[in-house]
Amino acid sequence: MRIDKHPILEFQRGKKIKFIFDGKEIEAFQGETIAAALHAAGVKVLGKSIFKHRPRGFYCAIGNCSSCFMVVNGEPNVRTCVTMVEDGMVVENQNGKGEIL
Amino acid sequence: MIKSAEVVIIGGGITGCSIAYNLAKKGVKDVVVIEKDYLASGATGRCGAGVRQQWGTEMNCKLAMESIKFYETANEVLEYEGDIEFKQGGYLIVASTEKEHQQFKKNVKLQKSLGIEVNQITPEEATKIVPYLNTENIISATFCPKDGHLNPFTTTDAYAKAAKRLGVKFYTNTEVTGIKTDNTKITGVITNKGEIATSKVVNAAGGFSKEIGDMVGIDLPVYSERHQILVTEPVEPTQGPMVMSFSLNIYCQQTPVGAFIMGRGDANEPRDLRRTSSWQFLDEMSKTVTELLPALGGLRVIRQWAGLYNITPDKQPILGSVKELDGFYLAIGFSGHGFMLAPMTGLLLAEQILGEKTSIDISMLDKDRFERGELVLEPSVV
Repeated sequence: MRIDKHPILEFQRGKKIKFIFDGKEIEAFQGETIAAALHAAGVKVLGKSIFKHRPRGFYCAIGNCSSCFMVVNGEPNVRTCVTMVEDGMVVENQNGKGEIL
Repeated sequence: MIKSAEVVIIGGGITGCSIAYNLAKKGVKDVVVIEKDYLASGATGRCGAGVRQQWGTEMNCKLAMESIKFYETANEVLEYEGDIEFKQGGYLIVASTEKEHQQFKKNVKLQKSLGIEVNQITPEEATKIVPYLNTENIISATFCPKDGHLNPFTTTDAYAKAAKRLGVKFYTNTEVTGIKTDNTKITGVITNKGEIATSKVVNAAGGFSKEIGDMVGIDLPVYSERHQILVTEPVEPTQGPMVMSFSLNIYCQQTPVGAFIMGRGDANEPRDLRRTSSWQFLDEMSKTVTELLPALGGLRVIRQWAGLYNITPDKQPILGSVKELDGFYLAIGFSGHGFMLAPMTGLLLAEQILGEKTSIDISMLDKDRFERGELVLEPSVV
């Protein structure tokens, strides 16, 4: 869900792009963060907690809390709330601390 | 504060705690540890946490072998309710110069003769242990699977708690400001919280050991050098052993939580007891580690810190009594390796203080060896 009309703000959205999340194609606007695009598409679970493997989602939205870590183009521990979405990006849920090999 | 004590130990790092525990275990009453900050707040808590047996001198090899044997069963021996987190993932030490390659040949021969499980291996064999090791400039490597690492905080806590159960008194946030003597022997210790009458003082002050020597007018042949470490974000288990290079001046290991820690020192820095972090270290270390271990290049650095190596001219510790002053004992100058040798340091100092025959002959580790010119240089130090 996106806010289309706002009483004060005007949205200047970039052009439409597509990225892959867990094998599915998702539409986004250029200039959005990965987490924002996923949120708009109704994706709430971004990863799992490292010890008890509980769902983790969008939380601080300013790159501080580590709750939005995902695997982006194979790279783990990417803070998706402050990383811009790009056309053709492959985004996956992260379970655990991330594998670098 | 207690008025008198049999032995006063200055320094609540791993060395001081181990000496206190060993003395108390041998039945000494009234052992006191004075720590100016909190336990393990100095070099112990700032160290790289590795323990290795791959040394270039017989003495360091022996001290390390026996210490590792102790760490293998330390949780049980010290009856610790926590965990010292001892993991034996080995040490992989790479040689990138011909000089190092030849030195390692000698080291391995010495280590094997002492019964240490170690081998000199080819770069190809090394990549079987650490697949992402960049072998471009590597001639050979040595690997000992029984080397490893453990948690400096819980290990110090284990020693301190065991010592407390045996009656040792710890005074933290208490600074020694002076030592009383009658010119031939120790008579007491002055702290900012009161005085303790004693005839025996152990200098286990780590990076500040020279300052303790100054208090009794003994110029100790040691100096302190800042060494720095950085830690990355944690990732899944990736690297088994500590990877080390003397010529590249780096050691790098993955801790049990998954974070990588890596460190080095700079011998050209001013010796002014600074313990601050520098951006130069961050810059240089990032370059070295991405060259040697390219797979770690994408990891984010979480923080960095610094601590002091207390260094002797031959990079071997100074242990035992001094001839100038009765009752003054030294456990100093570990040159960056006090944590890994602490179990033996504690035992040997306790034995010497009680006038027993020491488990290993440490007469060659006295402070006057440099004046006599008996320099047996330890070549394998980062």
